[in-house]
Amino acid sequence: MIESGEKEKLMELLRERLVECGWKDEMKALCRAYIKKKGTNNVTVDDLVHVITPKGRASIPDSIKTELLLRIRAFLASAAL
Amino acid sequence: MMSRNSMYTNPKPCKHLADYKLRHGLSGYNLLQEQIRTTPSGKSSVKNHQTEIPRCCFCNGYQKRLYLCLICSSISCSSHTLLHSQCENGHDIAVDIERSELYCVLCCDQVYDPDFDKIVMLKHLMDLPRSGNGVDVSAGRRSSKRRRLCSALELDLKKTKQLVSMRDLRAKSCYPLGLRGLNNLGSTCFMNSVLQALLHAPPFRNYFLTGQRNHEVCRKRSSDRLCLLCDIYVFFSAVFSGDRTPYSPAQLLYSWWQHSANLASYEQQDAHEFFISVLDGIHENGVKARNTGECHCVAHRVFSGQLRSDVTCMSCGYTSTTYDPFMDISLNLDTGNCPSTDLANKSLKPSDNTYVSTLLGCLDLFTKPEKLGSDQKFFCENCQERQDSVKQMSIKRLPLVLCLHIKRFEHFPVRRMSRKIDRYMQFPFCLDMNPYLSSSVVRNRFGNRMFAFEGDELDTSTEFEIFAVVTHSGTLDSGHYVTYLHLKDQWYKCDDAWITAVEEEVVRASQCYMLFYAQKMLYYKANEDLVCQPVSPRADPFLPIAGCC
Repeated sequence: MIESGEKEKLMELLRERLVECGWKDEMKALCRAYIKKKGTNNVTVDDLVHVITPKGRASIPDSIKTELLLRIRAFLASAAL
Repeated sequence: MMSRNSMYTNPKPCKHLADYKLRHGLSGYNLLQEQIRTTPSGKSSVKNHQTEIPRCCFCNGYQKRLYLCLICSSISCSSHTLLHSQCENGHDIAVDIERSELYCVLCCDQVYDPDFDKIVMLKHLMDLPRSGNGVDVSAGRRSSKRRRLCSALELDLKKTKQLVSMRDLRAKSCYPLGLRGLNNLGSTCFMNSVLQALLHAPPFRNYFLTGQRNHEVCRKRSSDRLCLLCDIYVFFSAVFSGDRTPYSPAQLLYSWWQHSANLASYEQQDAHEFFISVLDGIHENGVKARNTGECHCVAHRVFSGQLRSDVTCMSCGYTSTTYDPFMDISLNLDTGNCPSTDLANKSLKPSDNTYVSTLLGCLDLFTKPEKLGSDQKFFCENCQERQDSVKQMSIKRLPLVLCLHIKRFEHFPVRRMSRKIDRYMQFPFCLDMNPYLSSSVVRNRFGNRMFAFEGDELDTSTEFEIFAVVTHSGTLDSGHYVTYLHLKDQWYKCDDAWITAVEEEVVRASQCYMLFYAQKMLYYKANEDLVCQPVSPRADPFLPIAGCC
């Protein structure tokens, strides 16, 4: 799926959906709050990734999960032929 | 082409990045440049010619963030970058493959280098279709900036200081100068509210008070015709005379009716429409502008800015850019609603009622990239056919005084009805417009970059202070406008003829319709000169201002 470039397309679609529904803004706000709490000079990208990832994964809307799953299944089905 | 914008002064490189630069200079960056590919949306990734999936050389994983070592090009995932650095001495700097961003392994953090950003962006630009790609990498024009600065200084207060030092024996209170109630002449609160704001727009006020408007030699007046500018001058003189009794701006109203005949009636009008119409009247009555270049009438000098609109083809990345002037910006309220949320999706937004609209939210909405509908497909010059595109607005040049209009009146031409949106909107007293400038917005399209280009507006500050808020209460048909003025650290409520000092909480809680912000420097200077000194026995004799009765 990666080689055909389909993964890249789906990633783009996912990004678009996550921005549309405000998930990205929510994550941004969480990051800002964390940075404010810790102090700008005491936070690294790795810190942020570790802190935000579980929250991010948990708050993805079901509609987006469903849509992506359907598309992946459809691709796999068509590729198997 | 170097960044000079104080907001983006390059952070000091970490020791490891500095060491790397000393030893390797730009060679690593240059080698990498060939491998960078950018999507039409602006995301730059490192893709080497192999079609293989990049994998971590330690764990063969490919699902975490992957980093490419700048020295030996080996790829490690986020868990193993440290291991690589331990194995190979000095291999501390890597590039995030997906985002083309620098990473320091030992600091475990993202690092920034304008030289690197320059290289990434250059590659992006080179790959884009020629001409009209929306970015001009040449040095910014400096002459226009200087001209604007001089213009702002001309409207300076040196002359006004003389006028302000005059003492009015009739001034009983220590209210600042220029605070005077305006009588309602029959549903004219829409006019009174805007006039109060104009009275205290620093450069606008100074223009009329320093006699730059020489009404004695006005040709129109001498031939007994109406002149809007002269009437405004008279109005300013009256309000700043020191007389505190409510004033009736009848002459001004009549003059304005002549200009905007279609709005001449005793019905309530829209304050924003009045504002635009008055500025238009000033523009037309003023000196005829040259064919090219900016207009120098006071309305344009104070309120006009420039908007940039970019339309990007989603297939090839070609961007078409246009510039348009503006006298104010109309903003839609940000409601936090998004098109693809389900009703079942409670985890993300429990209830829309808790979302508070803010001015920054509205500005974000204004500068957000907007996908144009399939019925608005844009004809791409590069693809030579209509394509789906994305449009994004940004502010190319800020005015001296920024008027922000909140669109609270919704009109439905099909159903022939209109309604008012009462939604509360929070607004700040200090506003930094930097994130909404074209330079910031366009920079963000390239990912996390420090490198600035296109001549950031450095001479003009992006910080603004609020000085007036026009609020509306009631319904569309029967409503009332009230203006709050911020003078010398005190808020005043101007409700037609009644002026009272109020606490800042009252203003914050009000339902704003038009917000007036002045560039910080101009605002503070203006406030210094509003000092109303107590009358002393040895004061200078009262000097009347021309036009004051």
